[in-house]
Amino acid sequence: MSTVMVIAPLVIANWSAISAAVVGAVGVLGYSTVNEGIVAGRRVRAANRAEIELDESEILEGSGGSGEEIVVEKDDVRAVFSRDARGALKVCVEGHGRSKAELKKIGEDLIGRVTQQYVYHRVVTELGNRNMAIIDEEVSEDRTVKIRVRNW
Amino acid sequence: MAEELEIEISPTGQVVVRTIGIKGTRCIDAAEFIAKIVGREESRVLTSEYHETEQHVDQHQSIHRRH
Repeated sequence: MSTVMVIAPLVIANWSAISAAVVGAVGVLGYSTVNEGIVAGRRVRAANRAEIELDESEILEGSGGSGEEIVVEKDDVRAVFSRDARGALKVCVEGHGRSKAELKKIGEDLIGRVTQQYVYHRVVTELGNRNMAIIDEEVSEDRTVKIRVRNW
Repeated sequence: MAEELEIEISPTGQVVVRTIGIKGTRCIDAAEFIAKIVGREESRVLTSEYHETEQHVDQHQSIHRRH
């Protein structure tokens, strides 16, 4: 071992890349994407709602981001991913019978997994572009993804 | 020893890169390559292999000076 570097992720992407990351991430957690028309009329009380923004993110304008949403659901929880006024990625989590703190935790978990999925895709794509061979890949119990690369 | 990178992506998207068998300043190049893809470097630690090669260079330079 010669260098250990810790890197904070920056999510800067168009809406289609964000959508792909959301769909890839939430499926693993048991959420399913919902046709917006089905849920549009259903709103829950403000008290049962939490919003989380991904500070280090920017959804690029002109990529269909404005007004776009992805709605996912699992049991009694509904999460809506969208672009906030600053252009950052935001998730709004709603759920009957859930505390704000509980919904906030769910939202943080969701947005973390979306970030992980986005970073994974970026890394694997760039490694592929440079013909670097992934020799091993595993997901640990805490869902950390470990990749080993050769031909550096 | 084969030159490898070990990349860990946590459930929050934070990344830890470890270089294996890459000596000298090339190990920094490798880690910085991943940092450019992912985002912003938060910290780095240089361990024995980095300094191994640097010492080798120093020895070489001191021999050179004697001539």
